[in-house]
Amino acid sequence: MRSIAQNAPGKTMLLMGNEAIARGALEAGVKVCAAYPGNPSSEIIGTLAQVANEMGLHVEWSVNEKVALEVAAAASFAGLRGLCAMKQNGLNVASDFLLNLNLTGCNGGLVLVVADDPAGVSSSNEEDSRIFAKLGDLPLLEPAHFQEAKEMTKWAFEISEQLGLPVLIRSVTRVSHARGNVCLDELPQSSPKPRFDTSRPRTAFPASPNHKILHERFSRAKQMVEGSPFNLYRGPDQPELMVVTSGSGWMYSLEAVVNLNVQDRVGILKLGTTWPLPENFVLKHLKQADRILFIEEVDPFLEYNVKELYAQNCLDLGLKAFCGKVSKDVPDIGELNPEIVTQAIQNLIQVPYEPRPADYAMRAHEAGAELVPARALGFCAGCPHRATYWAVKVALALDGRDGVVLGDIGCYSLGLGPSGFGQMKTLHAMGSGTGLACGLGQLNRFGLEQPVIAVCGDSTFYHAAMPALANAYYNGANFLLLLLDNNATAMTGFQPHPGTGSTATGKEAPVIDLKAICEVFGARVEVVDPFDVAATVEVLLKLLQEEKGVRTLILKRECALVSAKRQKRLYLVEVDQERCLGETCGCNRLCTRIFKCPGLMWDKAVGKARIDEAICTGCGVCSEICPASAIRKEAA
Amino acid sequence: METAEKVNKGLKGLEEKVFDRGLCSACGACLSLCPYLRSWKGRVVKLDHCNLEEGRCFAYCPRTEVDLDGVYKSIFGKTYEEIEMGPVRRILMARAKDSLWTKKAQTGGVVSCLIDFALREGVIQAGILTPRDGDLLPQGRIIKGRKEILSCAGSSYVSGPTLEALNRGPWKGDERIGIVGLPCQVLALARMKTSTLEKRTPIDRVDLVMGLFCTWALDYKPLMAFLNERVDGRPIKKLNITPPPERILEVTSGGTLYRIPVDDIRSFIRPSCRVCLDMTAELSDISVGTVEGKEGWNTVIVRTAKGENLLKRAKNAGVIETRPLPKDNLSHLKEASLLKKRRALDALKEKGGIEKAYFTLSANLIKRILSEEATP
Repeated sequence: MRSIAQNAPGKTMLLMGNEAIARGALEAGVKVCAAYPGNPSSEIIGTLAQVANEMGLHVEWSVNEKVALEVAAAASFAGLRGLCAMKQNGLNVASDFLLNLNLTGCNGGLVLVVADDPAGVSSSNEEDSRIFAKLGDLPLLEPAHFQEAKEMTKWAFEISEQLGLPVLIRSVTRVSHARGNVCLDELPQSSPKPRFDTSRPRTAFPASPNHKILHERFSRAKQMVEGSPFNLYRGPDQPELMVVTSGSGWMYSLEAVVNLNVQDRVGILKLGTTWPLPENFVLKHLKQADRILFIEEVDPFLEYNVKELYAQNCLDLGLKAFCGKVSKDVPDIGELNPEIVTQAIQNLIQVPYEPRPADYAMRAHEAGAELVPARALGFCAGCPHRATYWAVKVALALDGRDGVVLGDIGCYSLGLGPSGFGQMKTLHAMGSGTGLACGLGQLNRFGLEQPVIAVCGDSTFYHAAMPALANAYYNGANFLLLLLDNNATAMTGFQPHPGTGSTATGKEAPVIDLKAICEVFGARVEVVDPFDVAATVEVLLKLLQEEKGVRTLILKRECALVSAKRQKRLYLVEVDQERCLGETCGCNRLCTRIFKCPGLMWDKAVGKARIDEAICTGCGVCSEICPASAIRKEAA
Repeated sequence: METAEKVNKGLKGLEEKVFDRGLCSACGACLSLCPYLRSWKGRVVKLDHCNLEEGRCFAYCPRTEVDLDGVYKSIFGKTYEEIEMGPVRRILMARAKDSLWTKKAQTGGVVSCLIDFALREGVIQAGILTPRDGDLLPQGRIIKGRKEILSCAGSSYVSGPTLEALNRGPWKGDERIGIVGLPCQVLALARMKTSTLEKRTPIDRVDLVMGLFCTWALDYKPLMAFLNERVDGRPIKKLNITPPPERILEVTSGGTLYRIPVDDIRSFIRPSCRVCLDMTAELSDISVGTVEGKEGWNTVIVRTAKGENLLKRAKNAGVIETRPLPKDNLSHLKEASLLKKRRALDALKEKGGIEKAYFTLSANLIKRILSEEATP
């Protein structure tokens, strides 16, 4: 049995970057771990939750990132080590607390891991979280590989305690989600007894004196990072080009230099402590080269900071050429890869190199197509959100006033695309759909005639939509809130939340009922099963016609994947091909052309639809939409 | 040589030629044929995109490329040549004898009474009528008995998708069907009958078409929004328009009678009605209207042998009585019918020319409509 909780010093394990971070925290003796799930960070707390009982930890999925950081910080105040993890968007939520916590300082080691998602593969944005370290004068570490992810996490706890400051670790998808060998160290056996020292209040007020203390601590951090083994230089003494890099850029740069066979011409300065910079170390190496290329994910953070450092010392250093995202030698959007880095280096030092053919991606896709079935980015088979958006589409079309659906963060964000029939029209932050509805729902007095709908998932509701809903009732906004209650934080991997009845460690928990919460606000709340499409359309139309105030409709149906895990199938579904109208007038492939559940297939040979039994989850919704009653469902 | 752009004769074409131009009459012929169209509050709504090049929705619509000569030939064996008010075998006035019908009727109760007679005599086994009870929103209902017929008596002035009931059913499969419809609806029925597309509807079992005279119909949704404001949101029980010259819309709501000049509601007349050529529901077996100045009597135009036969049997059975239509009324009727055609042609001229209209008709017939005086 592979467990990251095994006390086996010297043993090598194949670990995902996020697991390596979790292991690092265990080796550091972490006691309290909290997070709100979000890719690519979710496995850190997910992994720790699995070993929480055995290791005697408190691990929780908090309702949002700010609360998660507060939970971990409280442990630190009481002298225990605390870990908090989140994705880049989450730090925006937690930042209000973080930018006071830097002034109050902490006691036990407190580490905040933020996993950034370059290219926004599973995010609404591609934000670079590192700027918060600079904003808050907080130490920032960036692991470049798996072993380092573990070692850095351990060290982060140590310097956090030495400085009395929380320490940030910035990971990226290719570090968090890739796997590599990690050599284990010992797990600590002892545990301090927590106590909050009441003689030392933790308060950011008064701000200026605490700001001064922060600056003193930051100066000490500068000294601490100077000798760090996480910073290193590899290359010739006087390279033509020096690559300055951090995080996943280290591996890309190594590969690029080897690819181009320019090990004797290009040097790589790898920084693991990226804020504050190890200034003396950086200045020493800047002297070696006149041309500098920055390789880093998302924003030119190193690039700006190293140039700033250079500006202070330019008389000693002489003229340098800086290349990177600012100079457009490296793309300033999207995610890096070894090919991009190779081409950037090749462009600057002019070595013969045959770039990857322009159609490489297409050919790779084609080659893979035979092995992997083509699937559009969309809802799973049997997903209740497809049924919900279908009903919303029908209701809004019938209503005919060009209703606006304000979106939110979750699987249902796919409502933007064909899988949600393009119904969703906005997407911002957690809870923003309801917040925007608070504003759009006030514009009737200025002549807005469009009905306003906000969609929000259950987990997102607890996270950030509740204050918006309170605001809506209080200020009399006029909109329809659809709570898509699938009883899971589905998009990030089915983590439990306050509505699911269990905690991160699998303990039974009280269920905080969505309906009851909405009713406490004084709302009339209706509940409908989105799989009953006709009833859902009817109630949507009814609620759309009621013009006043906030109306709430809970669309209650468990996530198809959660149901499938319990092997509960509602129906056995089959297509009666005799009845199927196929492409003829009267149907024209409604199920496979418009509804598009992956569980339905178009049988080209006979010109009829059929069920893909391997994928169909038996929700039975397609039988409701089939105009010829050719799709039959039978209770499973 | 110029190549003509391929014209879509499916939902896409219907959307461009009818919905986008506001020409839908909400007859219901395109509904319940497929999952792409639904009606809501008297309006036909497209739910999804259908990419077929040819479809029944387009083929059945009374506002898409109607070859009038072709349709009239198929139904009557002759072209559109009887320009005044369509083919007429006989024209007279009539009323139901049983007060059961006349009490509830808008005028003479002939429509209700004839449908009832046709059902009892086994001429038809089901009727499709438009209920007048409930919330004033017209929609088709399949009726099989007297009580249901009574719930459909009277006028509502609002058009709705009656024909959807034909497409939707449910049907046992062998019923002969009688339908009461407005002029746009009887035109749609004629198109359904004559369409060469695979039908999958019970149109071939429609054995009796009774048409209602119509000068225009109102659009439910804006009308109700307007009326609700007038009656302070209380439920509206009944609508009635008093005969000319007064022309007042009487609205019964919450025990109060509100009187609204018809001119105030003209803006809710469906644009489709302004280009309609047909006042007397020409493509029917029997068309029925009021008789000006003769309260309690209907004008009845018998157009087919089937209609003739039904009327004769009903008269012999003593369920209706008939009288000749006074000459003045006849010439008034012809004038009014021709006038509606002329107004429609004028409106089409303003909208880009008759040659681009939803129907084709020979230049000669158009000229006759625009220039001929009604025969006395």
